[in-house]
Amino acid sequence: MSPQPQTAVGAPLSRVDGRLKVTGQAKYAIDHDIAGVVHAVIVDSSIGRGRITGIDTRAALAQPGVLKVLSHLNAPVLAYLPNPLAGMAGERLHVFQDDKVHFHGQPVAAVVATTLEAAQHGAGLVKVTYEAEQPSTDMAGAPGDEPLKYARGDTDKALASAPVRMEMTYRLPRNNHNPMEPHATIARWDGEKLTVWDKTQWVVGTQTELATVFGMAPESVRVISPFVGGGFGSGLRGWPHVIIAALAARDTGRPVKLSLTRKQMFFGTGFRPTYEYGVRLGSDRRGRLTAMTHDIRAETSRYETFLEYTMVPGQMLYSMPNVSQEYRTVPLDVHTPLFMRGPGYATACYAIESAMDELAHKVGIDPIELRLRNEPEEDESSGLPFSTRKLRECYAVGAREFGWHRRNPGPRTTRDGDWLIGTGMAAGVYDAGRQDAQASVRLDADGTALVQSATTDMGPGTYTSQTQLAADALGLRMGKVTFRLGDSLMPYAPPHAGAWTLASVGSAVQDGCDKLRKQAIKLAVEDDKSPLHGADPDTVVVSAGRLYVKGNPSRGETYRQLLTRNNLTRLETMGSFTRPTGPERHSLFTYTAVFAEVAVDARLGLVRVRRMLGVYDAGRIISPELADSQALGGMVGGIGQALLEHTVIDHRDGRIVNADLANYLVPVNADIPDLKAIYLDGDDREVDPIGVKGLGEIVQVGVAPAIANAVFHATGRRIRELPITAEALL
Amino acid sequence: MHPFSFTKAADTRSALAAGQRGGRYIAGGTTLVDLMRETVERPETLVDISDLPLRDVTVTERGGLRIGALVRMAEAAAHPKVRTLHPVISQALELSASAQLRNMATIGGNIMQRTRCTYFRDVTAACNKREPGSGCAALEGFNRTHAILGTSDDCVATHPSDVAVAFAALEARVHLLGPDGERSVAFADFLLRPGSTPNREQALRKGELITAVEIPALARPLKSGYLKVRDRQSYEFALTSAAVALHIRAGVIREAKVAAGGVGTVPWKLPAVERHLIGERPSKSLWTQAAERAADGARPLEHNRFKTELLKRTVERQLRIVGGTA
Repeated sequence: MSPQPQTAVGAPLSRVDGRLKVTGQAKYAIDHDIAGVVHAVIVDSSIGRGRITGIDTRAALAQPGVLKVLSHLNAPVLAYLPNPLAGMAGERLHVFQDDKVHFHGQPVAAVVATTLEAAQHGAGLVKVTYEAEQPSTDMAGAPGDEPLKYARGDTDKALASAPVRMEMTYRLPRNNHNPMEPHATIARWDGEKLTVWDKTQWVVGTQTELATVFGMAPESVRVISPFVGGGFGSGLRGWPHVIIAALAARDTGRPVKLSLTRKQMFFGTGFRPTYEYGVRLGSDRRGRLTAMTHDIRAETSRYETFLEYTMVPGQMLYSMPNVSQEYRTVPLDVHTPLFMRGPGYATACYAIESAMDELAHKVGIDPIELRLRNEPEEDESSGLPFSTRKLRECYAVGAREFGWHRRNPGPRTTRDGDWLIGTGMAAGVYDAGRQDAQASVRLDADGTALVQSATTDMGPGTYTSQTQLAADALGLRMGKVTFRLGDSLMPYAPPHAGAWTLASVGSAVQDGCDKLRKQAIKLAVEDDKSPLHGADPDTVVVSAGRLYVKGNPSRGETYRQLLTRNNLTRLETMGSFTRPTGPERHSLFTYTAVFAEVAVDARLGLVRVRRMLGVYDAGRIISPELADSQALGGMVGGIGQALLEHTVIDHRDGRIVNADLANYLVPVNADIPDLKAIYLDGDDREVDPIGVKGLGEIVQVGVAPAIANAVFHATGRRIRELPITAEALL
Repeated sequence: MHPFSFTKAADTRSALAAGQRGGRYIAGGTTLVDLMRETVERPETLVDISDLPLRDVTVTERGGLRIGALVRMAEAAAHPKVRTLHPVISQALELSASAQLRNMATIGGNIMQRTRCTYFRDVTAACNKREPGSGCAALEGFNRTHAILGTSDDCVATHPSDVAVAFAALEARVHLLGPDGERSVAFADFLLRPGSTPNREQALRKGELITAVEIPALARPLKSGYLKVRDRQSYEFALTSAAVALHIRAGVIREAKVAAGGVGTVPWKLPAVERHLIGERPSKSLWTQAAERAADGARPLEHNRFKTELLKRTVERQLRIVGGTA
């Protein structure tokens, strides 16, 4: 624990970049003004599978302002060096390298023009002809790959002898991330050096992608991304349009701006895949689980196999001796999915937590009591002790705050006019990840500090939380510390994902700022002109830029005085966090219990969420205001997942038919009721030195099943497919 | 977007002249500009009519309510005469679109708005409405939001307007001005069912301009209201909707005006429901029996079968809300 007074950490502060954002001064990818820039617009495939037989560019090229139409017919051969992505087998889509069409909407050409309007119009004038084949985009009935398997005990035997047996299949549709800001890229070549302004959740990842596609040294590519208008995972890889922007810039010798349209976001970036999740479970008559099987099928593309951690919750959330799992990807003529908020876990917990609710109803036990009866003492998948697991406390606090025990346990028992009222709850889990990270720290003689790391802030408030950590560790006021991010020239940071940014980058910032503070203290106590000369360094603290002996505030001086007297313009250091090597000694997870009250107009098939409560075991909370922003946002995402979101494919030709925000519905303000988040006190030093467990992912886990369970409680009808819409309830 | 020229009409006469030369009228632009961006609409000339003097809401000598074509949706919804005489119109408007769109979009433009069928709005899909003879991708495609009434083998797209459902229910007339002078058309005749020519959507002659929508004088007291059923609670088109106006005197329904939205290729007037109500006393069973007729003639598609039952329940609910259960 830091000896420093904690004044910024834990304080409910607003975003340090809030003013820039609400006054429109924050520059997102497309906002950067680059001299001489021209514009590129992508032409999308209008077939779902097949071959391009011709591209007629004459009308497009005849348009004033159109400079070039790029396609496989004239694009250079690109290096595409091996660059495997984590969890992704196969070979990425190669942009404009051949005539193959793998999915509807695949980029088949790009028009570059001096104005955006000319490029857009030109793109509409490119005539592409195809030899179309019938695509296969419907997962139902399509053959799957060899499954990943997990087993412990003997589920067949246990199920055969279980007094209570249940079998259910749950279905989840494809969801798209749909961040507010469309994906966009500006690319500029200066000789053999490439600079890219990109919407990305990982500048280093985009840098690596460009370097390997173009066969360059990573140092020759710089990626800049100071602001990201939402991501939810969509910015976790370098998409084809990033390559197209760089290619177009190189080809035309001009900087190129390229933004995806909202429609193109649906096939130009990834998605949460369609799932079928079959559960068989066995328990005794008192609800004690003996076995569970998980038969999981998820869509992927034919050129890459996308896997996420969908198998984890089934192995460790509840105690039972017998578990078997098969996780099968189903390759289709679609583009490759990508992690979306709560990836894998949110999917698995929808199925498992719905099944638990079904079991509770079947054996006549309160859903919370059922979960308590199946609470494990250790992680039964690894045999490791939990670092911290406060799920029991989540249930207790949640039940008390939500008024859970006032509910009539019977379904369809509460009515308010035309509305049936129901409550439901669900548990959730997400791994408490952390990755290697670095941060540079510089303290200037004027008493201000600059902290930098190549991380991202897609909305969780990285700018703010890192500033809070740095301010306390350095003993400076918030306003004296500037945190910068989003540039591949900065010290290394991992992908802005997995809810590990605070644990990883925050620990590096803490380390760097602690080191720098100690460096300053050492300078002072060894400086015979300092009032701190000869003091025990361990007794010196810094507050508001002034170093002093703890308990004797009059004995001290400011950073400014110290540096000036020593003729130093600055102190600098590098902070780092290194993930412990070797096997983990603990099972590291973050937990939640989510509670929902819904009203269902059963005659009209309407579901309205009335209130929600999330209780989180997420370790230490650095920034309570931003934690709320995460938690409430996650609940909103979960409401969308439960009731609205569904990417629809026309299987006749693989076309996405609702590729816009008028038809792909996300919740609007009117759909969002009273939401509340509670964070249990926590400080988990097994996860990282600053005791945080991450919040950004867990907040969407458990939301959809809590709502689905509430719909069952309201209506007595169990809907096993998301989203829950009118036709299922009529 | 294809290149186009843009002119602003200073007065009605110059607007009509530009319209005669093939210019497309534009006011709020909330539909047309979207569709131009998608290249669904490719007008060569736009004629901005925003400055024409068509922005009044007036009560006519005969007691009708006349809403100028350029009255913004938000203005019409908030107008005291509209609110007191026809709550169904105010409610339909306020349940439409978003506040920003209601501040831009006009009444004339609203009834001219084109379908939200996603195949219509995707120029790479087959659509007889957009490209006659190319086929209808929705018929065998994803058609959850499509029409079950008034459809043809060539088109199953819904008319998306809410306020048009209220206009249809109240038997409004559309006032038109063309080079040959003024005329007015019954609302039921103004919007056309697709038949074999789904590209023809309104009974407009070349260059004709909508000047106003007029609600005729109706027997008072008149209770009315609009119910919109949709997946989310704001900023979304109707799965089903019902506009209901009832004139009840001495405990008996003397006049009933009922229309449905979200289900028809045009706003769907429900004369069979109206006939069932007239001369009867309000009761729960009356609402149920009358609403049973709401989906007469429905031809549901693969994904919108639920609309048949949902439509009946929507009408039943709104009859109860407007007429009470006494």
